[in-house]
Amino acid sequence: MQLIVNIIISFLMYALLSTSISIIYQTTRFFHIAHAIIITFGAYFAYLLLNQLNLYISILFSVIFSTIIGILTYLFIYKPLIKKKIRSWHMLIASLGIYIILQNLISMIFGDNTKNFRTWKLKEGYNIINAYITDVQIISTIVCMSLLGLSWLFIEKTNIGKKINAVTSNPNLSNVFGISTNKAILYSFIWGSALASVAGILIAADTDITPTMGFNWLLYAVIAMIIGGMGKIRYLLMGTLLLATAQHLSAYFLDSKWMNATAYIILTVFLCFRPYGFSGKKLKKAEL
Amino acid sequence: MDYILHIAILICIYTILSQSLSIVAGYSGQLSLAHAGFYGIGAYTTALLSVNFGISFFITLPLAMLLSGIIAFIVSKIAVKTVDDYYIIITLGIQVVIFSILNNWQELTRGPLGIPAIPSIKIFGFAFDSKMSFLLLSVFYVTIIWYLINNFVKSPFGRILRALSEDEIFVKSLGKDVYQAKIISFTISGMIASIAGVLYAHYISYIDPTSFTVDESIFILSIVIIGGMRNLKTIFLATVFLVLLPEALRFVGMPSNIAANMRQIIYGIALVLVIFQYGNTKN
Repeated sequence: MQLIVNIIISFLMYALLSTSISIIYQTTRFFHIAHAIIITFGAYFAYLLLNQLNLYISILFSVIFSTIIGILTYLFIYKPLIKKKIRSWHMLIASLGIYIILQNLISMIFGDNTKNFRTWKLKEGYNIINAYITDVQIISTIVCMSLLGLSWLFIEKTNIGKKINAVTSNPNLSNVFGISTNKAILYSFIWGSALASVAGILIAADTDITPTMGFNWLLYAVIAMIIGGMGKIRYLLMGTLLLATAQHLSAYFLDSKWMNATAYIILTVFLCFRPYGFSGKKLKKAEL
Repeated sequence: MDYILHIAILICIYTILSQSLSIVAGYSGQLSLAHAGFYGIGAYTTALLSVNFGISFFITLPLAMLLSGIIAFIVSKIAVKTVDDYYIIITLGIQVVIFSILNNWQELTRGPLGIPAIPSIKIFGFAFDSKMSFLLLSVFYVTIIWYLINNFVKSPFGRILRALSEDEIFVKSLGKDVYQAKIISFTISGMIASIAGVLYAHYISYIDPTSFTVDESIFILSIVIIGGMRNLKTIFLATVFLVLLPEALRFVGMPSNIAANMRQIIYGIALVLVIFQYGNTKN
């Protein structure tokens, strides 16, 4: 029972993160590694602000600040690079560079030691049918579900979401129809960064804050995205569900230290036998 | 003096690593983030064999190369199915798997405790235990490997690699086996990386998994990118620069905790600038 609860909690967290990264990936077609730092920034801003302000305002501001950082990386680094039409792995390397710079800035400012902003007492979770679940986990489950619902509405129903979809499927054609690629990418960066920073705050509330915390989570999200494949959100959910289940099964039957390796072994198997993920939509990444 | 020799030995080891990665990243156009994994495989093979069974360096070196080559062969068989950024992600995954095997298979590798007391290299009764002699040995290896790689990339096979990094489909149309070329280059590069691992293990005499993390892979890849991907000489210069950088920062008088971060920031900035520059030269 505990196993199922754990799977659901991490499934929702992965789903939130991989939605946030995939919305950026779909419009820009490169892996935005620096997204990991947005997750970390969310947590650190919340850590800073929670001492001064009350809970809701500080969460709001930390989401806004981290989103601004996401926008700035796009405007000052990616936008000029995209104009030069270089290959996607160059973008990935540039993004890795940004990640290294920002992550070390955080380490310099806050130090490498683990922090947490729990002002409340740690207490034993509620016992629901033989499974323990803490307050924070309940809150994060609810927040994740509502944000997933919101982002589905945002992409499928709103005008901006439709523009993003158009750019995803064919940037040139959508330019012809007067949809600005730049604006669509900008919107996707705003939405993706906001989701990521919320996820960062939730992760920080549940566990600890370190300067490198975002990277692992981002990689899980990327794996889930690759397994799921491009296209609809439901494929993404299938991918994240598979990843979360496999990780927790391996933690249950082997040891929690193998969770990392399990994730990558699944990725490898998928890229070997089903390189386009569940959705099967081709993106010209695995071919020849 | 010992300190300068230490730095020089490190430069030698990183030169081997980055030049071997250049075969994969620069010549066949596949950016691998699994290089520290092969480095680690080399180090661990020689450490385990020489500590547990007292086998000499002459046997452990080929064994390490063989093991690393086999693993690199399997890895490239899988990774070759993907291109561009998916390739980076999958090699990153393989790096993490290798690291977690080194870190978690405690019965074999002693996990985070590491392997202490690795004996120094003995050749015909002469022990390379002083820093000076070890430096000479590593310079010897660097020279041989530099020469071999230089000849390798100028051979007909090297020209195929260079061509396929420019235009894969065109090379295929000329009837060259692109898959095979990629796999061979990756395997060779993995084997050479394990030599660096063997040297490192015997030199430091204590290894633990933290020397073979993803960060290490990123560091080696940054050397290659900053060094211009293909040019062995500039890659060597980039290695000297990036290995000396933390020492230079300490020399300036920066406290060590900031210097470590500053070094990373500098090479992060260098990466971004190189990519910008790449975009400029292309158009």
